[in-house]
Amino acid sequence: MEDVIVVEGLTKRFGNFVAVNNIDFTVKEREIFGFLGPNGAGKSTTIKILITLLHPTSGSAKICGYDVVKEPYNVRKKIGVVFQDRSSDRVLTGRQNLDLHGRMYTMSKEEREKKIKEVLRLLELEGVENIRLNSLPEGVRRRFEVARGFMTNPKVVFLDEPTIGFDIKARRDLWSQIKDAKEKEGSAVLLTTHYIEEADYLCDRVAIIDHAKIVAIDTPENLKKSVGTMLISFQIGDKNGNGLSYFIDRVKRLDWVIGVLKDNNPIILKIEKGEGRVLDLIEFADKIGFEIISIDEREPNLEDAFLYYTGRTIREAEGG
Amino acid sequence: MSEKIEFKRKFTEIQPIYSMWLREVIRFFNMKPRVISTIVQPVLFLALLALPMSKLFHGAPPEMEQTMFGGLNFFSFLVPGIVGIGLLFGGTMSGVTVLWDKDFGFLKEVMVAPVRRTSLMLGRTFGGLTVGMLQALITIGVASVFGIWYGFKISSLSGFLLAIVFCVLTFFIFSCFGIILGGLFEGTEGFMAFVNLIQMPLFFLSGAMIPISQLKGVPVLYQIQFINPLTYGVDGLRSALTGSTPFFPIWIDIIVLITVAVVFLLLGAYTFSKMEVD
Repeated sequence: MEDVIVVEGLTKRFGNFVAVNNIDFTVKEREIFGFLGPNGAGKSTTIKILITLLHPTSGSAKICGYDVVKEPYNVRKKIGVVFQDRSSDRVLTGRQNLDLHGRMYTMSKEEREKKIKEVLRLLELEGVENIRLNSLPEGVRRRFEVARGFMTNPKVVFLDEPTIGFDIKARRDLWSQIKDAKEKEGSAVLLTTHYIEEADYLCDRVAIIDHAKIVAIDTPENLKKSVGTMLISFQIGDKNGNGLSYFIDRVKRLDWVIGVLKDNNPIILKIEKGEGRVLDLIEFADKIGFEIISIDEREPNLEDAFLYYTGRTIREAEGG
Repeated sequence: MSEKIEFKRKFTEIQPIYSMWLREVIRFFNMKPRVISTIVQPVLFLALLALPMSKLFHGAPPEMEQTMFGGLNFFSFLVPGIVGIGLLFGGTMSGVTVLWDKDFGFLKEVMVAPVRRTSLMLGRTFGGLTVGMLQALITIGVASVFGIWYGFKISSLSGFLLAIVFCVLTFFIFSCFGIILGGLFEGTEGFMAFVNLIQMPLFFLSGAMIPISQLKGVPVLYQIQFINPLTYGVDGLRSALTGSTPFFPIWIDIIVLITVAVVFLLLGAYTFSKMEVD
């Protein structure tokens, strides 16, 4: 399959601050590729470079073989963009926004009619297309922007935090709509997100990005597998004041504990699969003067993979 | 090969320009309060400004009035001035709306479209121009109705058409002016304060209300009139519309306006192309 995005050694500096640090990745045709990372990791900056709004400091990026710096006009013809924050004219109706968008891409009247009908159906917007965006809820406006992104037969659609501020139900709906639209239009999708479930549900491959660098690229399945087969996570209380490091030191020596993924509350241990691990741990903790407040044995998820590759959780990363 | 692509690109810019024009027009008609104010404002200006002011000369010999106002009565003298106010305010505001696009995010959407920035700016300016001309025509139309009683009359069809040319040039100049100012300011608030400030002298020192020659004895103010583009716009517009004697020869008005329009267009396009999108 052809690579629709090829990025090599891409770097962007703002003064002394390095926003994107020497990243490489490729996105294949019809693939949904996700950038998973905390706010400020460099996801949006990378997108801005790829959609020709920002010049890189060094390195190169090609969309469908066109260089984003040297051939921005050709690049723009190949892409659809859904920005993180509002980008439509709210005095106009959804249909008027879509129609003007088509005109800007020099689509003929028949083409526009056909495509508008198609994307309205894909994003389940039929019936509200003649209402001014001002009078519609934020989630619907967002769907119009996604519809617009897919309207011009783009080879690549960029979705910058598509479901930010959505409730669970609206988020799940939009995910499946994005999947449908991508299938129907045959586009590849590059999306940025800091929602674990979004990356897990939508993406064929995920790049974990932190501190302006890509630290891992793989399928969500493989990323989870790289963490281990089974995890146990728990909150503990220190009854005798021995310190958490003492507990960690002791628990590491248990023969079914493979390693420590996270050494502060909630603690996460990589373990061998087996019966009765939860009970064993509770007993063990009690014996050395600790008490387990809550405990959960589970398979690794993408959150654990993020932790595994970056040494911190997304929430910690966002906090500081 | 690359020439061929460039040629095709120029040709295909027409539809994007048209789409930006169309957006302005649809926006205008989608906002009912704007439509209403466009119609009501000229009526108010004529009824509350031009009419009462024309009574200043009530009882004076008509010859005196006509000598002072280039062969017109005061009401007829004021009508083109009021059209001029509309062009000044409307033009500058249409430039400002380019800024609003930036604040409201729409600018980003057009910046990633395969369209030149200058085309975007041109399309928007033409759109604003269309709305501005609509208001100018309404003003002239309403004035003609008032004119039945107050002696205002359009001189001839050719004069009317020439007047439209003056309106277009004047509006275009202030539209680019609005965009250039917009480029100099970061936020909308400081910018609006400045626009309000600068519109005052532009309006009062343009010959719109007071004949240019009447200020001869007043230093500075008299000279400012000569560097104000609106002076030439109103002067040409008034002469074309009413057949009165212009202060400058008509061709001077036209040349000055065209020159300023070209310079402002280039500056405006430059400003727009440098506009940062975040």
